[in-house]
Amino acid sequence: MRGHLLALGSIVVVSVAAAFGVHDQVTLELLFTFLLYAVLGQSWNWISGYAGNVSFGHAIFFACGAYAAALLVTHGFSPWLAFPAGALTAVVLAIVSGFPTLALRGHYFSIATIAVAALVETFVHTSSWLNGANGFELPIRNGWANLQFAQKTNYVLIALALFALVQLGTLALERSRLGYYLRALRANHGAAASVGIDERRWKLIAFAWSAAMASAAGVLYAQDTLFVDPPSVIALSVSIDIALIGVVGGLGTVWGPAVGALIYVALAKGVALQLGGTGKGYDLVIYGALICVIAAWRPRGIVGSLVDALRRRRGAQAVDASPAIAERAA
Amino acid sequence: MADAGVEALSILAQLIVAGVLTGLVFALVSVGLTLVYGVMDVVNFAHGEFLMLAMYVAVGLALIGIGPIVGLPLVVIALFLFGIVVYRVFVRRLLAGPPEATVFGTFGLLVLMQGLAQAIFTSDYRSAPNPPFQGTLHLGAFAIPQATLVEGIGAIVLTALLFAFVEFTETGRAMRAVAEDRVAATLMGIDVQRINALAFGIGAACVGAAGSLLLLSNPAYPTVGVQYALTAFVVVALGGFGSIQGALVGAVLIGLLEVLGGFYLSPELKLVPVYLAYLIVVLLRPQGLLGRR
Repeated sequence: MRGHLLALGSIVVVSVAAAFGVHDQVTLELLFTFLLYAVLGQSWNWISGYAGNVSFGHAIFFACGAYAAALLVTHGFSPWLAFPAGALTAVVLAIVSGFPTLALRGHYFSIATIAVAALVETFVHTSSWLNGANGFELPIRNGWANLQFAQKTNYVLIALALFALVQLGTLALERSRLGYYLRALRANHGAAASVGIDERRWKLIAFAWSAAMASAAGVLYAQDTLFVDPPSVIALSVSIDIALIGVVGGLGTVWGPAVGALIYVALAKGVALQLGGTGKGYDLVIYGALICVIAAWRPRGIVGSLVDALRRRRGAQAVDASPAIAERAA
Repeated sequence: MADAGVEALSILAQLIVAGVLTGLVFALVSVGLTLVYGVMDVVNFAHGEFLMLAMYVAVGLALIGIGPIVGLPLVVIALFLFGIVVYRVFVRRLLAGPPEATVFGTFGLLVLMQGLAQAIFTSDYRSAPNPPFQGTLHLGAFAIPQATLVEGIGAIVLTALLFAFVEFTETGRAMRAVAEDRVAATLMGIDVQRINALAFGIGAACVGAAGSLLLLSNPAYPTVGVQYALTAFVVVALGGFGSIQGALVGAVLIGLLEVLGGFYLSPELKLVPVYLAYLIVVLLRPQGLLGRR
């Protein structure tokens, strides 16, 4: 636990220092993107990693926040209201779609998430009050009241606060009843059910929290880019990016999504520098190859594999101190 | 009034023909997916990218003068070999890992293949130069694009061939045995790894054929496979994962739903009934319309 808090603390210190010390807006934007993706990856990790229901449609929850911000701002309301409004919409969507589908296993669930996301995307595309395919361009109005800033510093600080909240939430999950139940369900749902764990109830709770986190990231995204349309926040490719971040770092680990987001941002930046712009597929090649290698040779992801290696070493060093090890490693 | 009725009926009949023909192509794409699922319990999320690869191979052949129809067997062989290699090098390892490894592994393959296609071919549309069958066939009141007709007929012939192979040959019997019970099949002396590799190769060969046929009326581009793969997931769920006959029935149903939905609702909504069908089937009848429990 101390290690986790220390890691989180260092990220907070470094990010705050960077937010105030670095004046290069491009670097700050990268830092902001990293934090935002880490939040999205963690949100995905709750349902796909901890609960074991792999989602390929997570962008719909991200879109709830982004569209809530766009709608509220366009109609003259404060974008701060988008945090509760987007989260509420996302949670309702998660419960309505999750109630019937969360009991599905493996690919049945994964394909169902693609189907639900495609239905939601079609709905947005054909709804005139959501501006259909055109989307929203948000007016520029800087200031804390409007959650919009000319400098990236404040964006980094807000994203950092969200990231810290999400990481603390995940640390709490790991040692809570919900966390143990999800792990039991994932390991053997039959055995878990036979001791009275209500699969639907606990998974719905995880799904709702996961959706609310993704929605909050969506609000920040909309307030930063000031443009929201279906391809940028809700398309299958967005859901796939979120899943990429979650898988690479390692499923069901506290730090996996952050590692995945770091690699994602570094790759996007590196590819843009070396090969001139993204969208040419090079970053996808590296990402795809990375996932293939991880799936075939390191199925627990980068962080998962490190944790395993660490446990083995500790186990070899002090076999008789096992309760202490279990506590530290968890 | 009567004329309007006759016209509405003739439109409906024409839509049904178009729907069935579309569905037959879906069937050829879907039987590859369902065969792999049946034999080794793997949903290949990169199935659509195999189709994309097939279309690029067919475009390449067309550029050196071998048209999509003559080139079809070559594309089938190329994809068959590709499938075998992918199984031997990659999928075999995924099967040894935890159950979710096959989902992520084939998902990674999807990302990798799309990225490669984008890096090598860019996202431009690539068509076969001067493809055959470009006219429209008039049969009384019916007007059918020749390409659609050839695609549909080619697809049903090849699907029937695959069905006959699985049903009547010794290797096909071995495949069904592995699908039924892997351990028992091993005890009967069946080389499961060989059967798996073969099934994966044949699954890829199916989209090899489908890709060649689709090139008659569609261009190739990096994400061309996505929509076909999504449709194939729905078809396979509808027919019951692992069932070839089920995939054929499901594919024709989906083809009809898509064409009728696109006409009577709106083109933007044509996939809504398709996805709703998936959700309804997996929730109410997870073994599929024809599947056994």
